[in-house]
Amino acid sequence: MSVAQVKRIAISDSPWPWLLPLVALLVVFTIYPLVYNVWLSFHEFAPRTRALKFVGVANWVQLWNDARFWGALSVTFVYFFVALVIEIALGMAIALLLDAELPGFGALRAILSMTLVIPPAIAGMMFLLLQDPQFGVVTYVLNSLGILDKSTPILATSSTALAGVLLAEIWQWTPFMVLIFLAGLRSLPTEPFEAAMIDGASSFQMFRRLTLPMMSRVIAVAVLIRGIDLFRVFDYVFTMTSGGPGTTTYTLSYYAWQQTFSFLKWGYGATLSLTSLVIIMVLANLFLRVAKVRW
Amino acid sequence: MHQSTFARTMRTIAGWLVVGLFFFPIYFWTSVAFRDAKDIFNWPPILFDFKPTVRNFEQVFGISLGFGRPEAVTPGGGNFYMAPRLLDSIIVAAFSTMLAIVVATLAAYALSRMNFRGRHQFVNWVLSTRMMPPVAVAIPMFFIFKQFNLLDTYTGVIIVHGIMNLPLAVLLLKSFFDDIPAEIDESALLDGASRWTIFRRIVLPMARGGIAATAVLCFIFSWTEFLFVLTLTQTSLKTVPVVSSTFVTSIGTAWGNMAALGAAAIVPAFIVILLVQRHLVRGLTMGSLKQ
Repeated sequence: MSVAQVKRIAISDSPWPWLLPLVALLVVFTIYPLVYNVWLSFHEFAPRTRALKFVGVANWVQLWNDARFWGALSVTFVYFFVALVIEIALGMAIALLLDAELPGFGALRAILSMTLVIPPAIAGMMFLLLQDPQFGVVTYVLNSLGILDKSTPILATSSTALAGVLLAEIWQWTPFMVLIFLAGLRSLPTEPFEAAMIDGASSFQMFRRLTLPMMSRVIAVAVLIRGIDLFRVFDYVFTMTSGGPGTTTYTLSYYAWQQTFSFLKWGYGATLSLTSLVIIMVLANLFLRVAKVRW
Repeated sequence: MHQSTFARTMRTIAGWLVVGLFFFPIYFWTSVAFRDAKDIFNWPPILFDFKPTVRNFEQVFGISLGFGRPEAVTPGGGNFYMAPRLLDSIIVAAFSTMLAIVVATLAAYALSRMNFRGRHQFVNWVLSTRMMPPVAVAIPMFFIFKQFNLLDTYTGVIIVHGIMNLPLAVLLLKSFFDDIPAEIDESALLDGASRWTIFRRIVLPMARGGIAATAVLCFIFSWTEFLFVLTLTQTSLKTVPVVSSTFVTSIGTAWGNMAALGAAAIVPAFIVILLVQRHLVRGLTMGSLKQ
Protein backbone atom coordinates (compact mmCIF):
# COMPACT_ATOMS: atom_id res chain seq x y z
CA MET A 1 0.00 0.00 0.00
CA SER A 2 1.38 3.35 -0.97
CA VAL A 3 1.59 6.19 1.50
CA ALA A 4 -1.10 8.05 -0.44
CA GLN A 5 -3.45 5.08 -0.14
CA VAL A 6 -2.85 4.73 3.58
CA LYS A 7 -3.54 8.42 3.95
CA ARG A 8 -6.77 8.19 1.99
CA ILE A 9 -8.05 5.35 4.15
CA ALA A 10 -7.07 7.17 7.32
CA ILE A 11 -9.00 10.27 6.32
CA SER A 12 -11.99 8.58 4.78
CA ASP A 13 -15.37 9.32 6.25
CA SER A 14 -15.81 5.91 7.76
CA PRO A 15 -15.70 6.21 11.54
CA TRP A 16 -13.94 2.88 11.98
CA PRO A 17 -10.34 4.03 11.48
CA TRP A 18 -10.97 6.52 14.24
CA LEU A 19 -12.60 3.95 16.49
CA LEU A 20 -10.15 1.16 15.77
CA PRO A 21 -7.64 1.80 18.60
CA LEU A 22 -10.50 2.07 21.08
CA VAL A 23 -12.21 -1.08 19.85
CA ALA A 24 -8.95 -3.01 19.79
CA LEU A 25 -8.04 -2.06 23.35
CA LEU A 26 -11.51 -2.68 24.70
CA VAL A 27 -11.80 -6.06 23.01
CA VAL A 28 -8.38 -7.25 24.11
CA PHE A 29 -8.71 -5.95 27.63
CA THR A 30 -12.39 -6.40 28.43
CA ILE A 31 -13.83 -9.12 26.23
CA TYR A 32 -10.81 -11.40 26.38
CA PRO A 33 -10.59 -11.23 30.19
CA LEU A 34 -14.30 -11.89 30.35
CA VAL A 35 -14.00 -15.01 28.21
CA TYR A 36 -10.93 -16.03 30.17
CA ASN A 37 -12.88 -15.58 33.39
CA VAL A 38 -15.66 -17.84 32.14
CA TRP A 39 -13.09 -20.46 31.15
CA LEU A 40 -11.34 -20.11 34.50
CA SER A 41 -14.59 -20.63 36.38
CA PHE A 42 -14.71 -24.21 35.05
CA HIS A 43 -11.21 -24.92 36.29
CA GLU A 44 -9.43 -25.00 39.59
CA PHE A 45 -5.82 -24.60 40.59
CA ALA A 46 -4.37 -27.82 41.92
CA PRO A 47 -1.60 -26.91 44.36
CA ARG A 48 0.09 -30.29 44.13
CA THR A 49 0.60 -30.27 40.36
CA ARG A 50 0.69 -26.48 40.24
CA ALA A 51 -1.59 -26.51 37.24
CA LEU A 52 -5.17 -25.76 36.34
CA LYS A 53 -7.49 -28.71 36.27
CA PHE A 54 -10.88 -28.91 34.56
CA VAL A 55 -13.57 -29.31 37.20
CA GLY A 56 -16.75 -28.79 35.22
CA VAL A 57 -19.49 -26.94 37.06
CA ALA A 58 -18.05 -27.73 40.49
CA ASN A 59 -17.27 -24.07 41.19
CA TRP A 60 -20.80 -23.04 40.32
CA VAL A 61 -22.29 -25.75 42.51
CA GLN A 62 -19.98 -24.66 45.31
CA LEU A 63 -21.12 -21.05 44.82
CA TRP A 64 -24.75 -22.04 45.24
CA ASN A 65 -24.01 -23.91 48.48
CA ASP A 66 -21.50 -21.44 49.86
CA ALA A 67 -22.92 -19.67 52.92
CA ARG A 68 -20.01 -17.20 52.80
CA PHE A 69 -20.93 -16.20 49.27
CA TRP A 70 -24.54 -15.51 50.26
CA GLY A 71 -23.24 -13.69 53.30
CA ALA A 72 -20.93 -11.56 51.15
CA LEU A 73 -23.78 -10.87 48.75
CA SER A 74 -26.02 -9.64 51.54
CA VAL A 75 -23.22 -7.52 53.06
CA THR A 76 -22.68 -5.99 49.62
CA PHE A 77 -26.37 -5.21 49.23
CA VAL A 78 -26.63 -3.72 52.73
CA TYR A 79 -23.56 -1.59 52.06
CA PHE A 80 -24.97 -0.59 48.67
CA PHE A 81 -28.39 0.47 49.92
CA VAL A 82 -27.35 2.17 53.13
CA ALA A 83 -24.58 4.16 51.46
CA LEU A 84 -26.69 5.07 48.43
CA VAL A 85 -29.68 6.27 50.46
CA ILE A 86 -27.58 8.29 52.90
CA GLU A 87 -25.36 9.77 50.20
CA ILE A 88 -28.33 10.86 48.13
CA ALA A 89 -30.37 12.29 51.00
CA LEU A 90 -27.42 14.00 52.64
CA GLY A 91 -26.01 15.11 49.29
CA MET A 92 -29.32 16.67 48.29
CA ALA A 93 -29.72 18.43 51.64
CA ILE A 94 -26.20 19.89 51.51
CA ALA A 95 -26.62 20.87 47.86
CA LEU A 96 -29.82 22.76 48.69
CA LEU A 97 -28.01 24.45 51.56
CA LEU A 98 -25.02 25.50 49.46
CA ASP A 99 -27.05 26.54 46.41
CA ALA A 100 -26.87 30.22 47.31
CA GLU A 101 -24.67 33.13 46.44
CA LEU A 102 -23.49 33.93 49.93
CA PRO A 103 -19.99 35.13 50.82
CA GLY A 104 -17.54 32.24 50.90
CA PHE A 105 -19.86 29.63 49.40
CA GLY A 106 -17.68 29.27 46.32
CA ALA A 107 -14.79 28.35 48.61
CA LEU A 108 -17.02 25.88 50.49
CA ARG A 109 -17.88 24.08 47.26
CA ALA A 110 -14.18 23.89 46.38
CA ILE A 111 -13.29 22.53 49.83
CA LEU A 112 -15.96 19.84 49.46
CA SER A 113 -14.43 18.60 46.22
CA MET A 114 -11.18 17.86 48.10
CA THR A 115 -12.46 14.52 49.30
CA LEU A 116 -12.70 13.28 45.72
CA VAL A 117 -8.97 13.33 45.00
CA ILE A 118 -8.02 11.27 48.02
CA PRO A 119 -7.30 7.66 47.12
CA PRO A 120 -10.01 5.55 48.82
CA ALA A 121 -7.31 3.27 50.21
CA ILE A 122 -5.73 6.26 51.95
CA ALA A 123 -9.15 7.53 53.09
CA GLY A 124 -9.61 4.07 54.62
CA MET A 125 -6.36 4.48 56.51
CA MET A 126 -7.46 7.94 57.68
CA PHE A 127 -10.61 6.52 59.17
CA LEU A 128 -8.69 3.64 60.65
CA LEU A 129 -6.81 6.17 62.76
CA LEU A 130 -9.91 8.29 63.45
CA GLN A 131 -11.70 5.19 64.74
CA ASP A 132 -8.73 3.76 66.59
CA PRO A 133 -10.03 2.36 69.90
CA GLN A 134 -7.25 3.98 71.89
CA PHE A 135 -6.49 7.29 70.20
CA GLY A 136 -9.21 7.93 67.63
CA VAL A 137 -11.21 11.13 67.40
CA VAL A 138 -14.41 9.35 66.36
CA THR A 139 -14.01 6.99 69.30
CA TYR A 140 -13.50 9.98 71.56
CA VAL A 141 -16.60 11.81 70.31
CA LEU A 142 -18.83 8.72 70.53
CA ASN A 143 -17.41 7.98 73.96
CA SER A 144 -18.04 11.54 75.21
CA LEU A 145 -21.59 11.47 73.91
CA GLY A 146 -22.14 8.20 75.69
CA ILE A 147 -23.05 6.41 72.45
CA LEU A 148 -20.21 3.95 72.50
CA ASP A 149 -18.11 2.58 75.29
CA LYS A 150 -14.39 3.15 74.79
CA SER A 151 -13.69 -0.53 75.33
CA THR A 152 -15.63 -1.33 72.15
CA PRO A 153 -13.34 -1.10 69.13
CA ILE A 154 -15.56 0.13 66.29
CA LEU A 155 -13.88 -1.74 63.44
CA ALA A 156 -13.29 -4.92 65.39
CA THR A 157 -16.80 -5.36 66.77
CA SER A 158 -19.15 -7.28 64.56
CA SER A 159 -22.16 -5.04 65.20
CA THR A 160 -20.32 -1.80 64.36
CA ALA A 161 -17.60 -2.74 61.84
CA LEU A 162 -19.75 -2.24 58.74
CA ALA A 163 -20.93 1.12 60.07
CA GLY A 164 -17.29 2.07 60.58
CA VAL A 165 -16.46 1.25 56.96
CA LEU A 166 -19.61 3.05 55.78
CA LEU A 167 -18.50 6.16 57.65
CA ALA A 168 -15.41 6.45 55.42
CA GLU A 169 -17.48 5.68 52.33
CA ILE A 170 -20.14 8.26 53.13
CA TRP A 171 -17.58 10.88 54.12
CA GLN A 172 -15.72 10.51 50.84
CA TRP A 173 -18.64 10.31 48.40
CA THR A 174 -21.39 12.51 49.80
CA PRO A 175 -19.48 15.56 48.47
CA PHE A 176 -19.55 13.91 45.05
CA MET A 177 -23.35 13.82 45.23
CA VAL A 178 -23.39 17.42 46.43
CA LEU A 179 -21.40 18.56 43.40
CA ILE A 180 -23.65 16.70 40.97
CA PHE A 181 -26.84 17.94 42.60
CA LEU A 182 -25.50 21.49 42.74
CA ALA A 183 -24.79 21.36 39.01
CA GLY A 184 -28.35 20.12 38.49
CA LEU A 185 -29.91 22.75 40.75
CA ARG A 186 -27.98 25.46 38.95
CA SER A 187 -29.40 24.41 35.61
CA LEU A 188 -33.06 24.52 36.70
CA PRO A 189 -35.23 27.26 35.16
CA THR A 190 -36.29 29.97 37.63
CA GLU A 191 -39.76 30.79 36.22
CA PRO A 192 -41.69 27.87 37.79
CA PHE A 193 -40.27 28.77 41.20
CA GLU A 194 -41.23 32.42 40.85
CA ALA A 195 -44.75 31.44 39.82
CA ALA A 196 -45.03 29.09 42.80
CA MET A 197 -43.82 31.83 45.15
CA ILE A 198 -46.52 34.15 43.92
CA ASP A 199 -49.06 31.38 44.50
CA GLY A 200 -47.81 31.19 48.05
CA ALA A 201 -46.26 27.74 47.98
CA SER A 202 -44.09 26.74 50.94
CA SER A 203 -40.46 25.86 50.31
CA PHE A 204 -41.18 22.21 51.12
CA GLN A 205 -44.02 22.16 48.57
CA MET A 206 -41.74 23.74 45.98
CA PHE A 207 -39.07 21.13 46.70
CA ARG A 208 -41.54 18.24 46.37
CA ARG A 209 -43.53 19.53 43.39
CA LEU A 210 -40.84 21.31 41.40
CA THR A 211 -37.24 20.64 42.40
CA LEU A 212 -37.52 16.90 42.88
CA PRO A 213 -39.30 16.11 39.58
CA MET A 214 -37.03 18.41 37.60
CA MET A 215 -33.98 16.86 39.22
CA SER A 216 -35.04 13.29 38.53
CA ARG A 217 -32.64 12.81 35.64
CA VAL A 218 -29.73 14.21 37.62
CA ILE A 219 -30.60 11.93 40.52
CA ALA A 220 -30.83 8.95 38.17
CA VAL A 221 -27.34 9.61 36.79
CA ALA A 222 -25.96 10.01 40.31
CA VAL A 223 -27.57 6.74 41.41
CA LEU A 224 -26.21 4.90 38.39
CA ILE A 225 -22.64 6.15 38.66
CA ARG A 226 -22.37 5.82 42.42
CA GLY A 227 -24.33 2.57 42.48
CA ILE A 228 -21.89 0.86 40.14
CA ASP A 229 -18.96 1.87 42.35
CA LEU A 230 -20.75 0.98 45.56
CA PHE A 231 -21.49 -2.51 44.40
CA ARG A 232 -17.83 -3.26 43.79
CA VAL A 233 -16.45 -1.76 47.00
CA PHE A 234 -13.00 -3.12 47.80
CA ASP A 235 -10.50 -0.49 48.93
CA TYR A 236 -12.13 0.47 52.22
CA VAL A 237 -12.73 -3.12 53.20
CA PHE A 238 -9.18 -4.11 52.32
CA THR A 239 -7.51 -1.31 54.29
CA MET A 240 -9.91 -1.01 57.20
CA THR A 241 -11.15 -4.45 58.22
CA SER A 242 -9.93 -7.12 55.76
CA GLY A 243 -13.47 -8.44 55.83
CA GLY A 244 -13.54 -8.92 59.55
CA PRO A 245 -14.38 -9.27 62.30
CA GLY A 246 -15.53 -12.73 61.27
CA THR A 247 -17.23 -12.17 57.95
CA THR A 248 -19.24 -9.09 58.87
CA THR A 249 -17.60 -6.80 56.31
CA TYR A 250 -16.93 -9.34 53.56
CA THR A 251 -18.10 -7.84 50.32
CA LEU A 252 -18.35 -9.74 47.07
CA SER A 253 -15.27 -8.06 45.57
CA TYR A 254 -13.20 -8.67 48.67
CA TYR A 255 -14.30 -12.30 48.92
CA ALA A 256 -13.43 -12.93 45.27
CA TRP A 257 -10.05 -11.29 45.69
CA GLN A 258 -9.29 -13.24 48.83
CA GLN A 259 -10.28 -16.58 47.32
CA THR A 260 -7.98 -15.93 44.37
CA PHE A 261 -4.93 -14.36 45.94
CA SER A 262 -4.95 -15.57 49.54
CA PHE A 263 -6.40 -19.06 49.18
CA LEU A 264 -5.21 -19.62 45.58
CA LYS A 265 -8.71 -20.79 44.61
CA TRP A 266 -8.25 -19.29 41.17
CA GLY A 267 -11.25 -20.87 39.58
CA TYR A 268 -13.59 -20.13 42.45
CA GLY A 269 -12.35 -16.55 42.65
CA ALA A 270 -13.13 -16.17 38.95
CA THR A 271 -16.59 -17.64 39.51
CA LEU A 272 -17.26 -15.12 42.27
CA SER A 273 -16.00 -12.14 40.30
CA LEU A 274 -18.04 -13.24 37.29
CA THR A 275 -21.14 -13.46 39.46
CA SER A 276 -20.56 -9.95 40.72
CA LEU A 277 -20.11 -8.74 37.14
CA VAL A 278 -23.38 -10.35 36.04
CA ILE A 279 -25.29 -8.83 38.96
CA ILE A 280 -23.96 -5.32 38.23
CA MET A 281 -24.68 -5.63 34.51
CA VAL A 282 -28.23 -6.80 35.08
CA LEU A 283 -29.00 -4.18 37.72
CA ALA A 284 -27.37 -1.33 35.79
CA ASN A 285 -29.14 -2.19 32.55
CA LEU A 286 -32.49 -2.56 34.28
CA PHE A 287 -31.91 0.81 35.87
CA LEU A 288 -30.86 2.40 32.58
CA ARG A 289 -34.08 1.14 31.03
CA VAL A 290 -36.37 2.23 33.85
CA ALA A 291 -34.75 5.62 34.41
CA LYS A 292 -34.22 6.27 30.68
CA VAL A 293 -30.73 7.62 31.21
CA ARG A 294 -29.09 8.34 27.89
CA TRP A 295 -25.64 9.50 27.02
CA MET B 1 -35.18 34.71 46.11
CA HIS B 2 -35.12 37.24 48.94
CA GLN B 3 -34.14 36.06 52.34
CA SER B 4 -33.91 37.94 55.57
CA THR B 5 -30.52 38.82 57.00
CA PHE B 6 -31.18 36.36 59.80
CA ALA B 7 -31.87 33.52 57.36
CA ARG B 8 -28.75 34.37 55.37
CA THR B 9 -26.61 34.37 58.50
CA MET B 10 -28.01 31.04 59.65
CA ARG B 11 -27.43 29.59 56.24
CA THR B 12 -23.84 30.82 56.15
CA ILE B 13 -23.16 29.31 59.57
CA ALA B 14 -24.78 26.01 58.59
CA GLY B 15 -22.76 25.91 55.37
CA TRP B 16 -19.47 26.42 57.17
CA LEU B 17 -20.37 23.87 59.84
CA VAL B 18 -21.29 21.16 57.35
CA VAL B 19 -18.27 21.72 55.15
CA GLY B 20 -16.08 21.98 58.25
CA LEU B 21 -17.27 18.56 59.30
CA PHE B 22 -16.25 17.13 55.93
CA PHE B 23 -12.95 18.99 56.01
CA PHE B 24 -12.05 17.83 59.50
CA PRO B 25 -10.56 14.41 58.54
CA ILE B 26 -8.36 16.13 55.95
CA TYR B 27 -7.14 18.66 58.49
CA PHE B 28 -6.57 16.01 61.10
CA TRP B 29 -4.65 13.75 58.74
CA THR B 30 -2.45 16.57 57.49
CA SER B 31 -1.73 17.60 61.07
CA VAL B 32 -0.75 14.02 61.95
CA ALA B 33 1.92 14.29 59.25
CA PHE B 34 3.53 17.05 61.31
CA ARG B 35 3.37 15.25 64.67
CA ASP B 36 5.68 13.27 66.88
CA ALA B 37 4.42 9.86 67.93
CA LYS B 38 3.52 11.12 71.40
CA ASP B 39 1.17 13.70 69.90
CA ILE B 40 -0.52 11.06 67.75
CA PHE B 41 -1.00 8.52 70.52
CA ASN B 42 -2.72 10.61 73.11
CA TRP B 43 -6.05 10.32 74.86
CA PRO B 44 -7.99 12.52 74.53
CA PRO B 45 -6.84 13.09 70.93
CA ILE B 46 -4.93 16.34 70.40
CA LEU B 47 -6.46 18.55 67.74
CA PHE B 48 -4.35 21.70 67.59
CA ASP B 49 -2.00 21.87 70.52
CA PHE B 50 1.10 19.99 69.37
CA LYS B 51 4.67 20.88 68.46
CA PRO B 52 5.05 20.56 64.67
CA THR B 53 7.88 18.49 63.24
CA VAL B 54 8.90 17.66 59.67
CA ARG B 55 10.57 14.42 60.69
CA ASN B 56 7.84 12.26 59.11
CA PHE B 57 8.39 13.91 55.73
CA GLU B 58 12.14 13.55 56.06
CA GLN B 59 11.85 9.85 56.73
CA VAL B 60 9.39 9.22 53.93
CA PHE B 61 11.22 11.21 51.30
CA GLY B 62 14.76 10.62 52.49
CA ILE B 63 15.65 14.29 52.60
CA SER B 64 16.87 16.53 55.37
CA LEU B 65 14.97 19.74 55.78
CA GLY B 66 17.24 21.04 58.50
CA PHE B 67 15.35 23.30 60.89
CA GLY B 68 18.22 23.14 63.34
CA ARG B 69 17.99 19.46 64.14
CA PRO B 70 21.39 17.90 64.73
CA GLU B 71 20.76 14.33 63.62
CA ALA B 72 20.87 13.85 59.85
CA VAL B 73 18.41 11.74 57.88
CA THR B 74 20.07 9.33 55.50
CA PRO B 75 18.35 9.10 52.14
CA GLY B 76 17.12 5.59 51.61
CA GLY B 77 17.48 4.87 55.29
CA GLY B 78 14.56 3.93 57.48
CA ASN B 79 11.80 1.49 56.71
CA PHE B 80 9.48 3.95 55.07
CA TYR B 81 11.59 5.64 52.42
CA MET B 82 9.01 6.25 49.76
CA ALA B 83 10.33 8.75 47.21
CA PRO B 84 10.64 6.07 44.46
CA ARG B 85 7.03 5.04 45.06
CA LEU B 86 5.83 8.57 44.48
CA LEU B 87 7.77 8.50 41.22
CA ASP B 88 6.05 5.20 40.31
CA SER B 89 2.70 6.85 40.85
CA ILE B 90 3.64 9.79 38.64
CA ILE B 91 4.98 7.60 35.82
CA VAL B 92 1.97 5.30 35.78
CA ALA B 93 -0.57 8.12 35.97
CA ALA B 94 1.16 10.28 33.34
CA PHE B 95 1.58 7.56 30.72
CA SER B 96 -1.80 5.94 31.26
CA THR B 97 -3.39 9.37 30.91
CA MET B 98 -1.59 9.92 27.61
CA LEU B 99 -2.72 6.52 26.34
CA ALA B 100 -6.33 7.16 27.29
CA ILE B 101 -6.40 10.68 25.85
CA VAL B 102 -4.88 9.76 22.48
CA VAL B 103 -7.18 6.81 21.90
CA ALA B 104 -10.23 8.58 23.29
CA THR B 105 -9.90 11.85 21.33
CA LEU B 106 -9.82 9.92 18.06
CA ALA B 107 -12.87 7.87 18.99
CA ALA B 108 -14.74 10.80 20.50
CA TYR B 109 -14.28 12.84 17.35
CA ALA B 110 -15.81 10.09 15.23
CA LEU B 111 -18.66 9.58 17.70
CA SER B 112 -19.36 13.28 17.78
CA ARG B 113 -19.17 14.01 14.06
CA MET B 114 -19.93 10.90 12.05
CA ASN B 115 -23.25 9.22 11.74
CA PHE B 116 -23.23 5.49 11.41
CA ARG B 117 -25.50 2.62 12.17
CA GLY B 118 -25.30 1.38 15.73
CA ARG B 119 -23.66 4.52 17.05
CA HIS B 120 -25.92 4.65 20.06
CA GLN B 121 -25.32 0.98 20.84
CA PHE B 122 -21.59 1.54 20.42
CA VAL B 123 -21.60 4.34 23.00
CA ASN B 124 -23.57 2.11 25.35
CA TRP B 125 -21.05 -0.68 24.88
CA VAL B 126 -18.17 1.64 25.70
CA LEU B 127 -20.03 2.78 28.77
CA SER B 128 -20.83 -0.75 29.85
CA THR B 129 -17.13 -1.60 30.06
CA ARG B 130 -16.98 0.80 33.01
CA MET B 131 -19.54 -1.27 34.84
CA MET B 132 -17.18 -4.21 35.13
CA PRO B 133 -16.13 -4.68 38.72
CA PRO B 134 -12.35 -4.21 38.86
CA VAL B 135 -12.02 -7.54 40.61
CA ALA B 136 -13.69 -9.26 37.63
CA VAL B 137 -11.04 -7.77 35.37
CA ALA B 138 -8.09 -7.91 37.76
CA ILE B 139 -8.28 -11.66 38.31
CA PRO B 140 -8.15 -12.76 34.65
CA MET B 141 -5.75 -9.91 33.94
CA PHE B 142 -3.36 -11.34 36.50
CA PHE B 143 -3.20 -14.63 34.60
CA ILE B 144 -3.04 -12.99 31.17
CA PHE B 145 -0.24 -10.73 32.32
CA LYS B 146 1.55 -13.72 33.76
CA GLN B 147 1.48 -15.38 30.34
CA PHE B 148 2.83 -12.30 28.58
CA ASN B 149 5.37 -11.38 31.28
CA LEU B 150 3.59 -8.12 32.00
CA LEU B 151 3.22 -8.67 35.73
CA ASP B 152 5.15 -6.17 37.81
CA THR B 153 5.92 -3.93 34.83
CA TYR B 154 5.16 -0.31 34.12
CA THR B 155 3.77 -1.25 30.71
CA GLY B 156 1.20 -3.56 32.25
CA VAL B 157 -0.13 -1.13 34.84
CA ILE B 158 -0.09 1.76 32.36
CA ILE B 159 -2.17 -0.22 29.88
CA VAL B 160 -4.70 -1.30 32.51
CA HIS B 161 -5.09 2.19 33.94
CA GLY B 162 -5.36 3.66 30.46
CA ILE B 163 -8.14 1.26 29.56
CA MET B 164 -9.88 1.75 32.87
CA ASN B 165 -10.17 5.45 31.99
CA LEU B 166 -11.22 5.00 28.36
CA PRO B 167 -15.02 4.99 28.82
CA LEU B 168 -14.90 8.15 30.90
CA ALA B 169 -12.51 9.88 28.50
CA VAL B 170 -14.51 8.94 25.40
CA LEU B 171 -17.86 10.08 26.76
CA LEU B 172 -16.48 13.25 28.25
CA LEU B 173 -14.51 14.26 25.16
CA LYS B 174 -17.51 13.48 22.99
CA SER B 175 -19.58 15.89 25.05
CA PHE B 176 -16.88 18.57 24.68
CA PHE B 177 -16.68 18.01 20.92
CA ASP B 178 -20.47 18.15 20.69
CA ASP B 179 -20.26 21.70 22.04
CA ILE B 180 -18.22 22.79 19.03
CA PRO B 181 -20.66 23.53 16.18
CA ALA B 182 -20.46 20.88 13.44
CA GLU B 183 -20.98 23.62 10.84
CA ILE B 184 -17.34 24.58 11.29
CA ASP B 185 -16.30 21.08 10.22
CA GLU B 186 -18.72 21.04 7.34
CA SER B 187 -17.59 24.33 5.84
CA ALA B 188 -13.98 23.21 6.15
CA LEU B 189 -14.90 19.92 4.44
CA LEU B 190 -16.46 21.89 1.58
CA ASP B 191 -13.24 23.89 1.33
CA GLY B 192 -11.47 20.60 0.68
CA ALA B 193 -9.89 19.98 4.08
CA SER B 194 -9.60 16.36 5.15
CA ARG B 195 -11.20 15.00 8.30
CA TRP B 196 -7.75 14.56 9.78
CA THR B 197 -6.81 18.18 9.09
CA ILE B 198 -10.07 19.43 10.55
CA PHE B 199 -9.55 17.28 13.63
CA ARG B 200 -6.00 18.49 14.16
CA ARG B 201 -6.27 22.11 13.12
CA ILE B 202 -9.78 23.04 14.25
CA VAL B 203 -11.40 20.66 16.69
CA LEU B 204 -8.42 19.81 18.89
CA PRO B 205 -7.39 23.44 19.52
CA MET B 206 -10.97 24.45 20.21
CA ALA B 207 -11.48 21.62 22.71
CA ARG B 208 -8.20 22.27 24.54
CA GLY B 209 -9.84 23.14 27.86
CA GLY B 210 -12.05 20.06 27.74
CA ILE B 211 -9.15 17.79 26.87
CA ALA B 212 -7.11 19.22 29.75
CA ALA B 213 -9.97 18.61 32.16
CA THR B 214 -10.40 15.04 30.91
CA ALA B 215 -6.67 14.42 31.27
CA VAL B 216 -6.71 15.67 34.85
CA LEU B 217 -9.54 13.33 35.76
CA CYS B 218 -7.81 10.35 34.14
CA PHE B 219 -4.65 11.27 36.02
CA ILE B 220 -6.49 11.37 39.33
CA PHE B 221 -8.30 8.08 38.75
CA SER B 222 -5.00 6.40 38.00
CA TRP B 223 -3.39 8.14 40.97
CA THR B 224 -6.06 6.85 43.35
CA GLU B 225 -6.53 3.37 41.86
CA PHE B 226 -5.80 0.54 44.25
CA LEU B 227 -6.96 -2.93 43.21
CA PHE B 228 -5.14 -3.29 39.88
CA VAL B 229 -1.81 -2.13 41.27
CA LEU B 230 -2.25 -4.36 44.31
CA THR B 231 -2.92 -7.34 42.05
CA LEU B 232 -0.62 -6.78 39.10
CA THR B 233 2.57 -5.67 40.82
CA GLN B 234 4.86 -7.36 43.30
CA THR B 235 8.10 -5.56 43.99
CA SER B 236 9.41 -3.44 41.16
CA LEU B 237 6.67 -0.85 41.25
CA LYS B 238 4.06 0.23 43.74
CA THR B 239 1.88 3.31 43.71
CA VAL B 240 1.07 5.48 46.70
CA PRO B 241 -2.32 4.00 47.71
CA VAL B 242 -0.96 0.46 47.69
CA VAL B 243 2.20 1.30 49.50
CA SER B 244 0.33 3.25 52.17
CA SER B 245 -1.58 0.13 53.14
CA THR B 246 1.74 -1.57 53.96
CA PHE B 247 2.47 0.91 56.73
CA VAL B 248 0.42 -1.25 59.04
CA THR B 249 2.97 -3.66 60.48
CA SER B 250 2.99 -6.22 63.23
CA ILE B 251 4.84 -3.80 65.53
CA GLY B 252 2.30 -1.05 64.99
CA THR B 253 1.35 1.46 62.36
CA ALA B 254 3.65 4.25 61.23
CA TRP B 255 0.84 6.79 61.31
CA GLY B 256 3.10 9.82 61.07
CA ASN B 257 4.96 8.53 58.02
CA MET B 258 1.77 7.39 56.39
CA ALA B 259 0.12 10.74 56.96
CA ALA B 260 3.15 12.46 55.44
CA LEU B 261 2.91 10.28 52.35
CA GLY B 262 -0.85 10.78 52.22
CA ALA B 263 -0.53 14.55 52.49
CA ALA B 264 2.07 14.54 49.73
CA ALA B 265 -0.30 12.48 47.59
CA ILE B 266 -3.35 14.64 48.21
CA VAL B 267 -1.99 18.16 47.96
CA PRO B 268 -0.77 18.09 44.33
CA ALA B 269 -3.93 16.30 43.22
CA PHE B 270 -6.03 18.94 44.90
CA ILE B 271 -4.16 21.83 43.31
CA VAL B 272 -4.67 20.27 39.90
CA ILE B 273 -8.36 19.67 40.53
CA LEU B 274 -8.86 23.32 41.47
CA LEU B 275 -7.59 24.27 38.03
CA VAL B 276 -10.30 22.24 36.31
CA GLN B 277 -13.01 22.65 38.90
CA ARG B 278 -15.34 24.13 36.31
CA HIS B 279 -15.29 20.86 34.38
CA LEU B 280 -15.13 18.57 37.40
CA VAL B 281 -18.78 17.57 37.63
CA ARG B 282 -19.05 17.01 33.93
CA GLY B 283 -16.09 14.69 34.14
CA LEU B 284 -17.27 12.73 37.14
CA THR B 285 -20.65 12.15 35.55
CA MET B 286 -19.06 11.35 32.19
CA GLY B 287 -20.67 14.32 30.56
CA SER B 288 -24.20 13.08 31.08
CA LEU B 289 -25.20 16.34 32.79
CA LYS B 290 -24.40 19.19 30.51
CA GLN B 291 -23.58 22.23 32.59
